[in-house]
Amino acid sequence: MNRLKAIADGQTFESVIHEEVLSRDPVVSIRDFSLFYNRKQALYNITMPIVKGMVTALVGPSGCGKSTLLRSVNRMNDLIETVRIEGDMLLNGESIFAPSVDVIQLRKRMGMVFQKPNPFPMSIFENVVYPLRIDGERDKTILMQVCEQSLRGAALWEEVKDRLNESGLSLSGGQQQRLCIARAIASDPEVLLLDEPCSALDPIATGKIEDLIDRLRGEYSILIVTHNMQQASRISDHTAFMYLGRLVEMAETSTIFTRPTLSETEDYVTGRFG
Amino acid sequence: MIGPSTKRSSQTQFAAQGEPMVWLSGGMFAIACLMILSLLAFVLWQGLSTLWPRNYSIYGRTDGSLIAGELYSKEVVDGLSKLYLRTGNYDVSNQHFAYVSGAELIDDQPWSDPDLWALERREWGNLYGFPKALSWTNCEPGQFAKEVSVGMLETARIDQQLAQAKDELKRADQGISKARLGVRRVELAQKIDLQSAIDSGVVDGLDPRAKAAVEHLAECTRRAEEMMIGINQRIGELEQKRSERSILLELPIAQELGTIPLDWAELSNGKLSDPEALAKLLGVEFGGQAPQIRASSMGQDQYLCKIGFAEQPFRRILVRRAEGTNCVISGLQEHSILLADVVRFFEPNGLGLLGRFGVYASRWWEFLTGAPREAGMEGGFFPAIWGTVVMTILMSMAVMPFGVLAALYMREYARSGWLLSAIRISINNLAGVPSIVYGVFGLSFFCYIVGGYIDGGPVKAGFEPWPSAVWFSALAVLSVVGLAAFAVSVLSGQAEARRSGFRSTLRWAGGLLWLATLMGIAWLLIRSPHFQGFYQAQLPTPTFGKGCLLWAALTLALLTLPVVIVATEEALSAVPNSLREGSYACGAGKWQTIHRIVLPYARPGIITGFILAMARGAGEVAPMMLVGAIPLATELPLDTEFPFLHGSRSFMHLGFQIYSLGFQSQNSEAAKPMVFTATLLLLAIVTLLNQTAIWLRARLRKRFQTSQF
Ligand SMILES: Nc1ncnc2c1ncn2[C@@H]1O[C@H](COP(=O)(O)OP(=O)(O)OP(=O)(O)O)[C@@H](O)[C@H]1O
Ligand SMILES: [Mg+2]
Repeated sequence: MNRLKAIADGQTFESVIHEEVLSRDPVVSIRDFSLFYNRKQALYNITMPIVKGMVTALVGPSGCGKSTLLRSVNRMNDLIETVRIEGDMLLNGESIFAPSVDVIQLRKRMGMVFQKPNPFPMSIFENVVYPLRIDGERDKTILMQVCEQSLRGAALWEEVKDRLNESGLSLSGGQQQRLCIARAIASDPEVLLLDEPCSALDPIATGKIEDLIDRLRGEYSILIVTHNMQQASRISDHTAFMYLGRLVEMAETSTIFTRPTLSETEDYVTGRFG
Repeated sequence: MIGPSTKRSSQTQFAAQGEPMVWLSGGMFAIACLMILSLLAFVLWQGLSTLWPRNYSIYGRTDGSLIAGELYSKEVVDGLSKLYLRTGNYDVSNQHFAYVSGAELIDDQPWSDPDLWALERREWGNLYGFPKALSWTNCEPGQFAKEVSVGMLETARIDQQLAQAKDELKRADQGISKARLGVRRVELAQKIDLQSAIDSGVVDGLDPRAKAAVEHLAECTRRAEEMMIGINQRIGELEQKRSERSILLELPIAQELGTIPLDWAELSNGKLSDPEALAKLLGVEFGGQAPQIRASSMGQDQYLCKIGFAEQPFRRILVRRAEGTNCVISGLQEHSILLADVVRFFEPNGLGLLGRFGVYASRWWEFLTGAPREAGMEGGFFPAIWGTVVMTILMSMAVMPFGVLAALYMREYARSGWLLSAIRISINNLAGVPSIVYGVFGLSFFCYIVGGYIDGGPVKAGFEPWPSAVWFSALAVLSVVGLAAFAVSVLSGQAEARRSGFRSTLRWAGGLLWLATLMGIAWLLIRSPHFQGFYQAQLPTPTFGKGCLLWAALTLALLTLPVVIVATEEALSAVPNSLREGSYACGAGKWQTIHRIVLPYARPGIITGFILAMARGAGEVAPMMLVGAIPLATELPLDTEFPFLHGSRSFMHLGFQIYSLGFQSQNSEAAKPMVFTATLLLLAIVTLLNQTAIWLRARLRKRFQTSQF
């Protein structure tokens, strides 16, 4: 506990990242990244890799900055006027925060799914092909192909193939969330960012989404925020534990859940605090 | 220890239960409902009943005369009845309506004759009387109705030809005025006077443009004059034909002829005791046979008789018992009207329910589609409806883009701050400004300044133009400022995101420079020495420099702008942020997000605001009085004549029509029933618009409803 207390007191702190993670090929590497909402600092000098083709879970108590970090990867925080950042991140070796970067092109290389399903008020078909539509794609056959692929990828095709022209809002909550995942993978992104995708869903829908993430492993690099330790241990390859805007420990999921280096991590994942 | 303070009095309990509040608020609610309902019922009843054909009743007065009319109301005050009659027959009696006291009447029970006709005319209002003869045939009275119907069809054809001829005449006239305008333009451009050339026809030595204009005018005049001879002749012939057919009627106006002795009892059996004396009194020949007579009792001591002596047409007389066996005989006044003036005729007392509905429907049809007669007191409201609709549509076309884009900027692009809040508050306040203020503004700004500028350039709009040299130097300065504004905005767009202080300075500077540029452009426009207006040749007759459709629409657009902005802003703020974020996360740009996600989602709200604005604008009268509505317009603002939409025309407006009919016409008493019908129509249009808004919103909302609970 004393280390966490030290963090709370604002003392400098070295995060522990296990060699098994560092040795892998990262798709995104976060470099000494800090973020401020106005003057209030939300992230403190975070350095961590997100490994290519694997699922990385972000865990930590509420308000520790998981969403903030996730939203920084595709620069969604640009939309908040008060945000200021220091440090940088690299996507496949290219800077994300350099002034010359085109944010819109950057976001097209990543897919994002939010905590609450947010299908657009249009047909299921249009929902899925939205990323292509904004790129000006009009070829019906291409759109149809992408739509089917993405819906199959999101394990939703069988359920909606006969009602593609119905409103996306007519689906159930779990279906809506899978629709959002289909939308996120429609533009074939390099990274998939999931912010508590199952928190609004019942166990069965959650199971389906977890199966889905399991199937997407390898094809996409996935960064997922979750509050559910079982879920993290079930679906992720790596787990990063955050606390009060700092990265505390990051390792392979089995390591984090069975023999973490820091006792604080163990306390958190076993539910003794948090 | 229970002190007195813990014990509750019954009064507090009563207040706690809230019983008085229930009664108070419930009572207020009931009163409010009652007021709204009675308003609706009143307008509905008055509006719907005006066009309903009523019985036309005849009453005998004690002084021997008759008074007749449609009974509009009857009050009894202190046992004395007071009747309000629509008498019609204005050209003879000089009144449309009359109040009659029951004391003047022999009997205040109405008596209605089934043979009486009501004729609605193009002029002078309704005529009521007994048809006696048709000038163009010798048919039996039973055939009158058929003959008149057939005759009306024919006169309608003549009228059509007449209108055509007059149209041609008008076109020829327009040709001349156009040619004259052409000459005037040349005169203005070359600062010469061509009047002598026009008068003499000598064009030698003029420059080619002036020569062409003068020759064109001469040609037009010559051709028009040639044409006019033919047309005028045709018009004369048609007018002649039109005036050939007339209907002779006996009006319910009695004229005493004299007194003769008659056996009253025999008369009531339909016989005359002394036909010869009567024939003499009436000045007709008594053929030796007893005349045919049909006597109808008009109450006590009074008969209206239809009487026909041998081989002679029937006529009507009024027989009233005097002292002894003497009877006073009165004839009915005869009156002849042109068939061509008749719009509609029917037998008000002889109609069945179905027939009455027929007349009612035909009157409504005319009301909705016809042109006004009698300065709007009779006939149709079509020009007013059309004017209102065209003006409202034009207004919406003006207000929509402005309102929606302004709201879009405020909600989606502008950074929140004190400036934005101040602007938002002022817009909300603008919605509460009395509409007459907008009217005054529209008149002084749009009509006089902008309209004057369009008509005759800066001088006409009341601005002193600058000397040419000063003006061109100002233009140069303005171009520099404009370029600077452009450069600064481009710079601020590229400025580094992290150096936000520098960027916001640039933004401010850019905004100020743009503002300066816009004001500079306006300033240069009103000070230009090189612009003399587009309609200088027509001056001093104003084209846009007066109240007209365009300025009315723009004034109303200004008036409804706050409504649209507020509604659109509300609709935009109701769009969930999660949708915007979802769109950005897909790599959409700002405009793509607005255009594909935000606007479709906000559309129901925007449309609602739009229709509310339309409803408000359609019913607005006060500003209309100042900026272009007139009581009687001969031309429609939107018609089949090139260029179809005539922004510089004055127009008729339903709301203004109600005001001018009810309070400004020479005979507002007679116009009152029409006022109620027009009110009903206006109410119907506004309700229809509001109802459409509600329906549309509900329909569009359904599309965005999620099935999830
Ligand atoms: N828009 C914002 N403006 C100011 N502060 C913010 C904003 N968004 C988040 N924060 C602050 O940043 C910190 C991190 O928030 P964040 O949403 O990243 O937490 P989280 O780890 O996702 O929590 P949870 O698990 O509850 O979602 C919190 O203290 C929060 O108050
Ligand atoms: Mg979060």
